[in-house]
Amino acid sequence: MTLSPPLRVAVIGAGRMGMIHGHLLSVYPETEVAGFVDSNMGLREHLASQGLRGPLYPNVEALFTATSPEAVFICTPTNTHLPVVRACLARRVHLFVEKPLATTRTDAEAILHLATEARVVHAAGYVYAHLPIVQAAHDLLQRDILGEVLRFSAHAYVSEVFGPKRGWFFQGELSGGGVVANMASHLLFILGWFFGPIRRIVATTRSHASAVDDSAQALLTFESGVTGLLDASWSMPGAQMLDYGLTISGRRGTLVLGRDRILLHLLAPAGGHDAGWSQIHASDLPADTGFDLSPHIGGEAFYRQLQTFVEACRASTLPFCSLVEACNTQRMIDAIYTSAASGTPVEIS
Amino acid sequence: MSDLVLELRPPESQHYASWRDRLDTVARYSQPDEVHALCEKSYTLGACAILTVFDDTIREALVAFQRWRDLAVWAVVPNMFAFIRDLTDLGLVGAARARFLRLTPPQMASTGLRTMADLGAIRRRDFAVGTMLVSNMELAALRELRVTRLFLHPQVTEIALAGDSAAVFTALSATAQRLGIEAGLITHNPLRAAEVLGSELSRFAAIVAPCNPKGYKMFPSREACERLFRSDPARFIAAEVTAGGTVAQEAALAHTRTLGLAGAVLDFRMVEGAFRAGVATSHGAGVRS
Repeated sequence: MTLSPPLRVAVIGAGRMGMIHGHLLSVYPETEVAGFVDSNMGLREHLASQGLRGPLYPNVEALFTATSPEAVFICTPTNTHLPVVRACLARRVHLFVEKPLATTRTDAEAILHLATEARVVHAAGYVYAHLPIVQAAHDLLQRDILGEVLRFSAHAYVSEVFGPKRGWFFQGELSGGGVVANMASHLLFILGWFFGPIRRIVATTRSHASAVDDSAQALLTFESGVTGLLDASWSMPGAQMLDYGLTISGRRGTLVLGRDRILLHLLAPAGGHDAGWSQIHASDLPADTGFDLSPHIGGEAFYRQLQTFVEACRASTLPFCSLVEACNTQRMIDAIYTSAASGTPVEIS
Repeated sequence: MSDLVLELRPPESQHYASWRDRLDTVARYSQPDEVHALCEKSYTLGACAILTVFDDTIREALVAFQRWRDLAVWAVVPNMFAFIRDLTDLGLVGAARARFLRLTPPQMASTGLRTMADLGAIRRRDFAVGTMLVSNMELAALRELRVTRLFLHPQVTEIALAGDSAAVFTALSATAQRLGIEAGLITHNPLRAAEVLGSELSRFAAIVAPCNPKGYKMFPSREACERLFRSDPARFIAAEVTAGGTVAQEAALAHTRTLGLAGAVLDFRMVEGAFRAGVATSHGAGVRS
């Protein structure tokens, strides 16, 4: 039962992600849509026809002149995130920024600095981290079930680019890059959340179809000493939605994280898990979800992501998916591109 | 007795346990003959219909299959996964235009004529009109099939339910009526559907929603969903019956029967599993009791 008034949230950018968040904010019992902002005012009827009934404003200033949201969801093209954050933080509003945080590490760190100075709650839209099965894997690592983590291997594949592409998503200066910034970043966020700050990266990228990176291989070393390989491509046939996998090896066992299950192999019993192979399936975990907006892409993770953000705003605490963690992801993205361009390893300070 | 319904989707749009499993399955079901064989196996298991999102392979397989077997096709339109990819590249208008250009000249003519009345709404990017425009373009390519029920793709359905957008469902219903077939719903949010549609829910002959003994994908809760199912069991068809393969097939179907639901959806894994286990030995035998 809701005891406090709903959190009033404005959505900045009424493209695909803006609409998804607008719908979630409409159905979530503890939020209400204060309005949308988009420079294309012709979207008004399109939004209304989907049941997105909040008023549409042409810019952030018009939004704040007309109403006082407590939080904003920033869903504009990535290159605009920094100026939009700056404009929004002229008032004290909590921030949710869609991924990736920015097109450069410098911009990402500037966004984090602004949010920190403003003392607002902040989060980034790396939605897959909110899947119950991913959170269960994090929990196993936190409980030290694998012992000292030594290495990992990961992949992120999707069938998206097999020829020249148009749209802002495929223009590096607008979107921040290609498959690394826009697809593999989901996995990079999870890796950072699992293993901590990044220390060193060696990487290669290839642009074989679009104007941005279409595939990448990276060797990552975290400050915790964990090392591992990431292979990413959006030119892999057979996967209309992002297919990712992560195998983590520790001194006491191995964890294989897939879309719906964890396979666990332990050398000795630990944390209530038997020695040998066992499985944790998503159906064994509480979903804690009121509405599934996107059953096949993201699933209940979208609802849980919003829930995490709202609870953090209520408690005035930073969620695990804060911009601090998103900055760590941005450092990885930046280092992958820098290493690929220079052909040398990149140390991250 | 519950009816069994085979669910087909382009194999690229499903989740798999591993990348290797994905490639094996996608490669296999990229062949119309393999899809045809799967349909034949499901028929042997007692399936009464095939609920499907279309791609060229599935359409070709079903055209051949329906020449051989009198099994109904329940069409799920539009193929949103393909559409979303085109949206990212081409934008809304470009994605719709690309679909239009794939039609044959007669299909273009009939789609064009039907669109004339909606030009204003199309210019305004009206959600219901746009959805049905793209759906109608897909339906135009299904003329060779005997389609008896029409469903919206769940990605569209959930958006419409979130937005309390009854217009989309009215448009779906009207399209089904024009075609002389029944309309249905596929949703992970059946309670929301009941709330948004109210008494209009009864206009939908079948509502496909997750139902399994673990409560997997049953939102907001298993208890709430089962309460709704019990209020009108003949309208509901259970999906996700094995909870991602974690409930044995027999137990899964028994659970559906206990609730008295109209039917249960079988996916390719269940069909293949039944045959591997040697369950189906003759028509009508096997998982159908």
